[in-house]
Amino acid sequence: MGFFDKLFKKKDAEPKAEAAKKSEPAATKASVKVEEKKAAPAPAPAGAGPAPDAFVVPPVANPNDSKIPEDVKLKASDMGPLLPGAPPGGKIKLAVYWTAACGGCDVSLLDIHERILTVGDMAEIVMWPVAADGKEKDIAAMEDGEITVTLINGAIRNSENEHMAKLLRQKSTILVAYGTCAMYGGSPALANLVPGGAKDILDYVYTKTPSSANFQNEYHKDAPVIPQTSYQAPEGELTLPVLYDTVKTLDQVVDVDYSIPGCPPLPESILQLLKAVEDFVYNGVPLPPKGTIVGVTTKTLCEECPRRKESRRITEIKEPYQVDIDPELCLMDQGILCLGPATMGGCGARCTRAGQPCRGCYGASPDVQEQGASMFTAVASLFPVLDEDPTCGEDEIIKIMSTIKDPLGYFYAYTLGKSLIKRAVKEGGQ
Amino acid sequence: MADFEPRIVTFCCNWCSYAGADGAGVARLQMPTNFRIIRTMCSARVDPEFVLRAFSKGADGVMVLGCHPADCHYIGGNYRARRRIALLRMVLEQYGFDPKRLKLEWVSASEGEKFQKTIVEFVDVIKELGPTPLKKEVN
Repeated sequence: MGFFDKLFKKKDAEPKAEAAKKSEPAATKASVKVEEKKAAPAPAPAGAGPAPDAFVVPPVANPNDSKIPEDVKLKASDMGPLLPGAPPGGKIKLAVYWTAACGGCDVSLLDIHERILTVGDMAEIVMWPVAADGKEKDIAAMEDGEITVTLINGAIRNSENEHMAKLLRQKSTILVAYGTCAMYGGSPALANLVPGGAKDILDYVYTKTPSSANFQNEYHKDAPVIPQTSYQAPEGELTLPVLYDTVKTLDQVVDVDYSIPGCPPLPESILQLLKAVEDFVYNGVPLPPKGTIVGVTTKTLCEECPRRKESRRITEIKEPYQVDIDPELCLMDQGILCLGPATMGGCGARCTRAGQPCRGCYGASPDVQEQGASMFTAVASLFPVLDEDPTCGEDEIIKIMSTIKDPLGYFYAYTLGKSLIKRAVKEGGQ
Repeated sequence: MADFEPRIVTFCCNWCSYAGADGAGVARLQMPTNFRIIRTMCSARVDPEFVLRAFSKGADGVMVLGCHPADCHYIGGNYRARRRIALLRMVLEQYGFDPKRLKLEWVSASEGEKFQKTIVEFVDVIKELGPTPLKKEVN
């Protein structure tokens, strides 16, 4: 224990010194002119030393601005005040960890702008792969529940992911499933559709992809080299994480307190969580009830989308590039497959405002489990009843519906990990 | 696979197929007992989620029965249903299921015999296919 203690204390001292530096300007900041001061504590990029004004990006004139109606434009969000320096009871501990994720969620925390600097005043960041050092052994040496808030982004795909999720759960008071992958499996969960599971994936990646196939052919012609999970070296055993056949969501592995959907979560959602934590840390306001989903509405995305809906019938599905998109008309009316009718609202319909269809990263609306199924219902109703409908057979209908390519991949792009049938099956495989 | 008795979930619409099933019973038509009927107001009430849930709970086959085309109590419910089922069959195939495990058929209130025939045929198809590939998975 003493060994770990020492290790940990040494690490402890460094961030504090840093944080003290940061908190200095924060402390001198009076309540006024907060916005102007933000440039001062921001670390200057290496060597350049430009005037603070150079950081301000001038607004770019969009040639389409005049065409876009006023209510379609998204208003800048109100970020609220900065955190008021160190909390009275001492800093809390904050951890951020990524499992099977792209790293976008990790970086998205910076979207709260200058507030991220004051987060350092409130909390000691014990782990944050993209920005701060922090090792598994340091976390393991902590007391249970010592970390106040842990944000985990990413799905659970291998034994290391699962180990870290369980370890962080044990050491944290509040565990947040941060982002779509942690909540619903996200794109990593689409790997569940490979019938052969992990074996097939590894085989493909290490022997079949053009770059690896050449390498294997040249150097390991008869016995292709695929990473092993355990190797006995003379110095001892070396291990690699074991890849799972089924990608899981975070709440299928550990108990989750709150979730934030989004790919990545919006600054508004992050701030909502930050506000809850802030109120809890500084003022002792009780935390929201367990299971809260942060930053969502009870209705679907269509409710927030400013586009005009005419409930037109469509006969063909088009990709956005094939259509000269009308900026005011519903995308579904224009034949573009948009997951708005089946997706939980809360994001402010950012994608549809920009003329891109919703891909459904917020997951199913509250009373629905299957986002994809909910979308079948909506899409099927958009196809018109034909004159030959009373007489034609089911094959004809399948032909009509085949205009939707890859329905499983499209409608479950983000939520396969949470769907009812979680992975590919094999007939006669009993 | 001789002793395999499939479990089949059958959704019947209130106005035609449920009455048809009733008619089959009243006429004492003999048929296998592997199916459970769930009555819905219309075949369009069968949310694709119901079907997927049935499969995820271990059903070997799912049947959706509705009014004949142009005969729907709600004018166009069965047209919606058949489009949804078509999509679902595509999706089930992508998952790796045999799409034959999901069947859509039209049975009117007077077609007790057709109900019997449909059930017998479907049970045979499922017996041929064997148990659901999902059964052994943890779900």
